[in-house]
Amino acid sequence: MSAAEDFIKPERVSAVPKAPVLNRFLDYLSSVRLGVILLCILVFFSIVGMVVMQQDVEGFEPYYASLMPAERLLGTRLGIFNIYHSWYYLFLLLVLSLNIILASIDRFPSSWSYIVKPKLDATRGWLLNRKRSFEMKADSDDAGAIAKAISAVFSANGFPARVLEKNGVTFVFGQRNRWNRIGAYIVHVALLTLFLGYFVANQTGFNATVRLAPGQTTDRIDMLTFDVDQNLQFQHQQFEVQIPFKISCTDIQQKLINPEGEIDISNTMDWRTEVKIDDPGYGANTYEISLNKPLSYRGYRFFQSQAIAMGSARKITLQLIPQDGGEALSVDVPRDGTVSLADGTRISFEQFLPDFTLGPDGKADTRSGDYNNPSAVLSVIPPGGSRSQVIAFTPDFANKAPVAGGAKLGYKWRLVDFEKSPLAHVLSIKYDPYEASFIAWYIGGFGLVAALGFVFFTSHKRLWARIEPSSDSPGHDIVIAGEANRNHTAFSDKFDRIVSTLKGPGA
Amino acid sequence: MEEVSKLNTDLLSNTFPAAKEKSGGSWTSYLPVIFVFVGAFLMLGLRIQIGASFISDGALMMLALASYILAALFQLTNLYAPSEMSTRIGYWGAALGVFFNLSSWLVRWVAGYEREIAQLRAAGNPESPWIFRYIPFANLYDLSLAFAFGAGIATILLARRKNLQILTAFTLPLAALILTLARFIGNEFIDLPPVLDSYWRPIHVGDASLSYGVALVCFAVAVIYLLKDGVKVEAMAIWSSIFAVGVIATVSKFSVLTELVYRSGLFLSNPGSTRPFPTVFRVEMPYVGPILVLTTLLYVGVIVAFIAYIYRDSLLGKQVGHVLLKAALITQLLSIILLVYGIKNSEDVYSRLQAQMAAKPSLLVAAGQAMAEKQDMTVQERQSLTPAVYEQTAGTFLQSNGKGMFLSLNANPVELSALITALVATLFVIGFSFRTERLRERLPNLESLDNLMYKTACLAFAGLAMLLITGAIWANESWGRPWGFDSKETGALVAWLTYAAFLHTRISRGWKGRSSAYFAVIGFLLVIFTYLGVSYLLPGLHSYA
Repeated sequence: MSAAEDFIKPERVSAVPKAPVLNRFLDYLSSVRLGVILLCILVFFSIVGMVVMQQDVEGFEPYYASLMPAERLLGTRLGIFNIYHSWYYLFLLLVLSLNIILASIDRFPSSWSYIVKPKLDATRGWLLNRKRSFEMKADSDDAGAIAKAISAVFSANGFPARVLEKNGVTFVFGQRNRWNRIGAYIVHVALLTLFLGYFVANQTGFNATVRLAPGQTTDRIDMLTFDVDQNLQFQHQQFEVQIPFKISCTDIQQKLINPEGEIDISNTMDWRTEVKIDDPGYGANTYEISLNKPLSYRGYRFFQSQAIAMGSARKITLQLIPQDGGEALSVDVPRDGTVSLADGTRISFEQFLPDFTLGPDGKADTRSGDYNNPSAVLSVIPPGGSRSQVIAFTPDFANKAPVAGGAKLGYKWRLVDFEKSPLAHVLSIKYDPYEASFIAWYIGGFGLVAALGFVFFTSHKRLWARIEPSSDSPGHDIVIAGEANRNHTAFSDKFDRIVSTLKGPGA
Repeated sequence: MEEVSKLNTDLLSNTFPAAKEKSGGSWTSYLPVIFVFVGAFLMLGLRIQIGASFISDGALMMLALASYILAALFQLTNLYAPSEMSTRIGYWGAALGVFFNLSSWLVRWVAGYEREIAQLRAAGNPESPWIFRYIPFANLYDLSLAFAFGAGIATILLARRKNLQILTAFTLPLAALILTLARFIGNEFIDLPPVLDSYWRPIHVGDASLSYGVALVCFAVAVIYLLKDGVKVEAMAIWSSIFAVGVIATVSKFSVLTELVYRSGLFLSNPGSTRPFPTVFRVEMPYVGPILVLTTLLYVGVIVAFIAYIYRDSLLGKQVGHVLLKAALITQLLSIILLVYGIKNSEDVYSRLQAQMAAKPSLLVAAGQAMAEKQDMTVQERQSLTPAVYEQTAGTFLQSNGKGMFLSLNANPVELSALITALVATLFVIGFSFRTERLRERLPNLESLDNLMYKTACLAFAGLAMLLITGAIWANESWGRPWGFDSKETGALVAWLTYAAFLHTRISRGWKGRSSAYFAVIGFLLVIFTYLGVSYLLPGLHSYA
């Protein structure tokens, strides 16, 4: 080894400097790869939530009680019984949203450049490397005429064309649906709108219920919450919430398939609740709520939820048989309504008992909610007399129990018909002050679907023609090339047709 | 040297050709689709005109099933012995099947309308609800009928291209399996839950059936791709065997592998309706259990043998595996035949049930527990029940109602369909193993399969997005909340997210081909779980679906 080499220490080649940590972190956060990983994790947690019963599902309480203490502890600590509202699930959604935003910001400029700065010219090699390309010759020396002809063919096939000359080479460029390049971003904006709307609705709103029977007025609704407490006990708590207006139930109705049948779900077509809202700021108005037809009022949405399956009647038909003989009268009395007879007798329908019995205190009562022995409790004021209670029974029962069917206040009172109805309805209420649900699902949701249709059913198609003088013979060499970002098969067919037109018949 | 084409000189003289060249007869390629819709609406018209004596929706469904199977058989034969006639019969057979399928659905609509109108009039109710109340999207039978139609119509639309007609050989057997499930579910009409009486039902459920149908086609394309791409048939056999073992292990409430018996569910006649009650009781079917156990052992043997072949190049493993696979097919077929025969020819179910309960009292306890779970009890009430109480409850019910119980193919539709699906999967794998290379040559090229897979995945993705959105909006109108992570909602979301991941891997990592095919398979399996598993296995607001 020479003396020079002894003292020449080899210089270490410095390593390529790594990008700063923050940049690398942001690159990863904006990567589609991370997005795919997050989607897969979301899928996994969602499946866990499907397979393990959640605490807001009917039947959770007995299921939870049947678990071993260790299972309850593990499930509760990991948030498995309420996984969709767990911190890690929400965090996943947040990171996914961030990923979408950053990825979109990262990629948008290049997509935008397709729209504002299309590639009008290209080298021969680049064009021949496109998915579809074709070479041909033209005998003509007039490049302008060739370009005009090709341009006409492009335009006739739906590709408005532009002609450009550069360094002695003439280019024809045509394209369609360039806006498809930003379709994916519209999809993601719609998706983020959906996420945001859902999040805002959940944070600013709440769910509640209210039970309403005809004649009842309230300004309070019931909010129910479920959770597992510190002692791993499943608790549900009820809170009363005051609303800024009064809601009165003026009527409830159950539309039955068979009016003589039971008031159960299999015999029901619809439930209807008529309410009057008395609002200090906006006055009083009457509204109707039925299945699939909710009422929206000042951020509160009222939905027909349930019926209290205790038999009642919306309207009764009475037959009044005069004690002294004569023609029987038929009278219809609506619920909580009053009717006056010709002789001045006033009849008020006070209560309906579906399964009449005498209670321990000797007062009229009902044994059950089934229509086993229907009767109507009436308040009757004869002309010049005082109020008396009369119970109208069905003719069947009255004939079997003469005491019950006896005359009172000059008539025998018979309940001959009634419109079946439940005792009360339960309305579920969604409070959404900013209409976030509407924004999320109608605007975000339909926007998402429309954007997906735009993305998948259209594609950005481009055609180029490069016309340059032949180097070895008179005329021009032409390269036709085309590309689509989607729907390649359909574009391929189109390209073949255009080339076929350019070649002419028999070529 | 290839002569370079010349530019048409007519263009230079501003003489533009008369018309763009179009691929000849493009509208004629839609003839089968036109036939399907025109024919089906003609059938609808005839049904309205003729009335209830017209061919029933059930019969039309069976005709659709037969047509699908026949068409698939012709196309499969075409793979090994190509002929123009087989191709035509196969393609038009598919169209015929879709025609019968759609006709069945339309005729069912009319039948549902007439049924309830008759009920209303008999009860003296003069109301005439709107006809969309009766659109056949009310239960799993209706959805299955529409699902099969969705798959069929997607198939014949895509199979217009001659090189893709082979698609029918793969999609129609799956559509036939969906109709088989529908057959076992039973086509009795249900009383429509009032919450379903909404204009959103045809939109939401209609979209579901079409999206599921497209997902099915995407799955079939993925399977074809994997075959063409050289995935070993033995690898496919391993997966189909795992599926079969999983099905056998879980049917009959896990009793096949734990107790070596298969028990079939029992119905109880319902005097007030044509639809019987399902009971919690199950009766042992003779010989079925042991044969299914044997089948499981054979499938396990298949898995082990083929793993040895794939990872250790064991030719003996390959040979043994194929023998075991054929043996498993035979035993599984035998078990299904015995099961169906046993159900159809059952006598004295009550005494058989009594004898089984006497021999194993724990069955009575389990039945009592299942009955208690259906009751609306508080936790304290439930905790106070003892095994003796369960046994007594079940025993009393059995004593009062036992004589009215009967076996039916409709009692466990999902189990029976799953067993048949496992059988068909095994049959297909055995079919693929026959002249595999010749089969691969006949399949379309990988690029067009990959493009088709991508296209159908995009359609399925967009369809599932629409399903989620319309479902949420409907839920907002009906239940008061647009999204509550109900099992069916979450199932659809999971399937949609899987397709989203699939599409993004294609964009970002260029995952085309085989990786895409695997994603497409997983996506479809999740769709099936949403369609079926959620309804039968998981509680939630969608349980009536």
